[in-house]
Amino acid sequence: MIDFGRVQKELQECSKDIEASGIKINPVSDNLVHLTGTIPGPIGTPYEGGTFHIDITLPDGYPFEPPKMHFVTKVWHPNISSQSGAICLDILKDQWSPALTLKTALLSVQALLSAPEPDDPQDAVVAQQYLRDYQTFVGTARYWTETFAKASSLGVEEKVQKLVEMGFPDSLVKSTLEAVGGDENMALEKLLSS
Amino acid sequence: MEENNNNNSKNIDNNFKALMKSPLQHNALEDDEDFSPEFQCCVCLELLYKPVVLACGHISCFWCVFNAMNIWHESNCPVCRHPYNHFPSICQLLHFLLMKLYPAIYKKRERQVTEEEKKSGQFSPEVEYHIFRSQTSKDVDSVCNSLHFPSQEQTKLYSESYSSREGKSSSCMQSFETAVECGDDTTLKSATSSESSEATANSTIQECSLTVNDLEYKAHNQFSVDDLPCAACKRMLFQPVVLNCGHVYCESCIVVPRDGNFRCPICQSLHPHGLPSVCLILEHFLEEQFSDLYAERRKALRIQTNGSTQAQRHAHRSASFPKNVYSSWWVGNGPKVHVGVGCDFCGMSPIIGERYKCKDCTERIGFDLCEACYNNPVKTPGRFNQQHKPEHKFEIMQPADINDLLYRMNAELSDDEGSDATENNDGVSRTPESSGDVPEDLEDNTNDRENASPNYFFSVDASIDAEDDSDEPSSDFAQ
Repeated sequence: MIDFGRVQKELQECSKDIEASGIKINPVSDNLVHLTGTIPGPIGTPYEGGTFHIDITLPDGYPFEPPKMHFVTKVWHPNISSQSGAICLDILKDQWSPALTLKTALLSVQALLSAPEPDDPQDAVVAQQYLRDYQTFVGTARYWTETFAKASSLGVEEKVQKLVEMGFPDSLVKSTLEAVGGDENMALEKLLSS
Repeated sequence: MEENNNNNSKNIDNNFKALMKSPLQHNALEDDEDFSPEFQCCVCLELLYKPVVLACGHISCFWCVFNAMNIWHESNCPVCRHPYNHFPSICQLLHFLLMKLYPAIYKKRERQVTEEEKKSGQFSPEVEYHIFRSQTSKDVDSVCNSLHFPSQEQTKLYSESYSSREGKSSSCMQSFETAVECGDDTTLKSATSSESSEATANSTIQECSLTVNDLEYKAHNQFSVDDLPCAACKRMLFQPVVLNCGHVYCESCIVVPRDGNFRCPICQSLHPHGLPSVCLILEHFLEEQFSDLYAERRKALRIQTNGSTQAQRHAHRSASFPKNVYSSWWVGNGPKVHVGVGCDFCGMSPIIGERYKCKDCTERIGFDLCEACYNNPVKTPGRFNQQHKPEHKFEIMQPADINDLLYRMNAELSDDEGSDATENNDGVSRTPESSGDVPEDLEDNTNDRENASPNYFFSVDASIDAEDDSDEPSSDFAQ
C-alpha cells in the first residue's frame, strides 16, 4: 500500500523550492500513483538548456520500494536508453533507501546527466560513442537536446489556443498544461485519455 | 476499499492543486503546531512515533524501521546504509520526550498508527510510563534543584499516582489524553527554559487545587532535564548512545568488555553491535535546551579522559555477522537462515541458527526466539505486543525451503490484494508489506530459473539489474 500521506508531503516540499532546484513534480493521474517529473539539463553539459520530462510510477510498496522512472524526453546519454528512456541508476534499483524521496531521486538523475558512467552502460551504442569519439557524442547529445528537450517555440497562450481549437474546454486545457509542466504533447495525451 | 482510496487521493490531488496555486499557504493542511524538523522521521516524513534508534544513531518510527528491513539478509540504515542485523526496541526515553514536546501531534500520530495497526492485525508494543519512570528516574535531585525544575519528590508522586491508578492493561496515553484536553496552551510549550517552567509551576500550584489529575498533567507536559537521565549515572545525558534494547546511556558510562559482549545494565539484554554511535539528534537537542549544563559536562569529561578511549571503542562498531553468512546457508555450508523471521527478544532478523517458535502464542505474527535468547531468556516483552508467557512451549522450526519461499512469493505477488495470502503460512510469520528488492527481482526471474543453483539468488542483486536491461542495448545495437 503506497503511503500517500508521504507522497503528498514530498510534493509539497518539492514545490517549496522549485526556484532553487528547478525540479518539478506533478501528478498525472488523479491518484498520485502516476506522476511526472521535470529536470533542467545541467549547466556546462550538452544537456544545458533542455527541459527533461521523466515519467514516474509508484509501486505498491513505495517508499520501501524504489519509484519506477524513465525519460519521456529523448536523451542521448550512455546510461539512458535512447530507445525507451530506461535509466541505469543504482538508487533506482538495489541501492534505493526509503529515506530518499522523489525529489532526491530526480536530483540524482540530474547528476547522472552531468556525470555519465560509460563503463556501466544502459545504451551500448551511446556508451561506445562516448568512449571512442567523445566529440561526436557531445554533438549528438546537444543535437538531441535541441530537438527533443527544448520547449517548443510556442508560448503558453498559443499552446492553449492550439488545444482549445482541437475542441477541449479552455479551463481544462489550462489546468492540464499546468499539470504536465507546459508540454503540449503530454497535455494532449492526457486530455485524450481523460 | 479501492473506491475509497480513489476518493481520498482525489481530495489529495485537489488540495495539492490548490497548494500549487498559492505557494504561500504551505501550512493549509497542517492543522496543528509545527515540530522541529530534527524529529521528523526520514521514512514517513511525519513526527517520529515510537522511535527506534539504530546502532548508527539514526532514528525512525517503529513501523518505518520494520518495513524498511530486509527479510532476506542484513538490513541497512535508510539514512547512512550502516548495516545491522537486529531490530532495536523502542527508545522509551525519546518516546516520552516527544509526547511532552508535541502532545497534540503525538496524539494524532498515535491515532493514525493505531488505526493502521488494527487494519493490518499487527501491533507495536505498548510503552508504559510508570515502568519507564521506575527504571530511569532515581537520583537527579541535585541537578533538578539547582535548575529550579520540579523536584524529584513531586515527580515520584506523579509516578506513584500513576502506578496506583492504572492497571497493567491501560496505557498511559489514556490519561495523557485527558491531560491534553484540559491543558492550556501556555503550559504546553513553554517548559523549555527554567524560569518559565518555575513560573508556570508556581501558577498552576496557586490556581489549581492539587488533584491527581493536575499532577498527572504536569508530569506529562513539562519536559525537563529530569526526562533525560542516563540510565547508569542518572545525570543528564551527555553524548547519548541508545542500545539495541532502547535504553539510553552517556557514551562515557558504557565500557564494552574485551569480548564485545556488552549487556545492558538495566535489562541484561545483549547489545550486539559493540558500542553504538552517539545519537546526534538527541545530543543536539540536549545541547540546545541545556547548553550551560551540557558545556559543564563536556568540560568535566575532558578532564577525566584524555580523549583516547573513544576511538578505541569505535573500533568495536560493525555489523555483528559477516555478510556471507546469509548466502552460505543457501549453498549448504553455513548456519540456518530463517528468512522473514525475527527473534522477539534480541531482535535478530532474519534469525541465524536454530529457530524456536512458540506453540502457544496465538498472534498472527507469531513469537520466535533465536538459540541464544531461548537458552538465556531476558525479561522483555514481545516486539509486537504478543502475550507470551514463560510457561509457553517452544518447538524447533526448520527454515522454509527456498523453492517453497519463491512459490509463496509468487502467489502473493500475483494475488491482487494479497490480503489473506499470509494467513496460512507458518514458515514466514513476518511478512512485511513491502516484499523488498530481492523478492521482486526473483519474481521476474523465477520462471526461467527454477533449476538454478540456490546461490544464484544472492548474487542476483547486481546481475539482475544488468539482466533487466539487457534487452535495451541489444535493440539499440540493431538500430
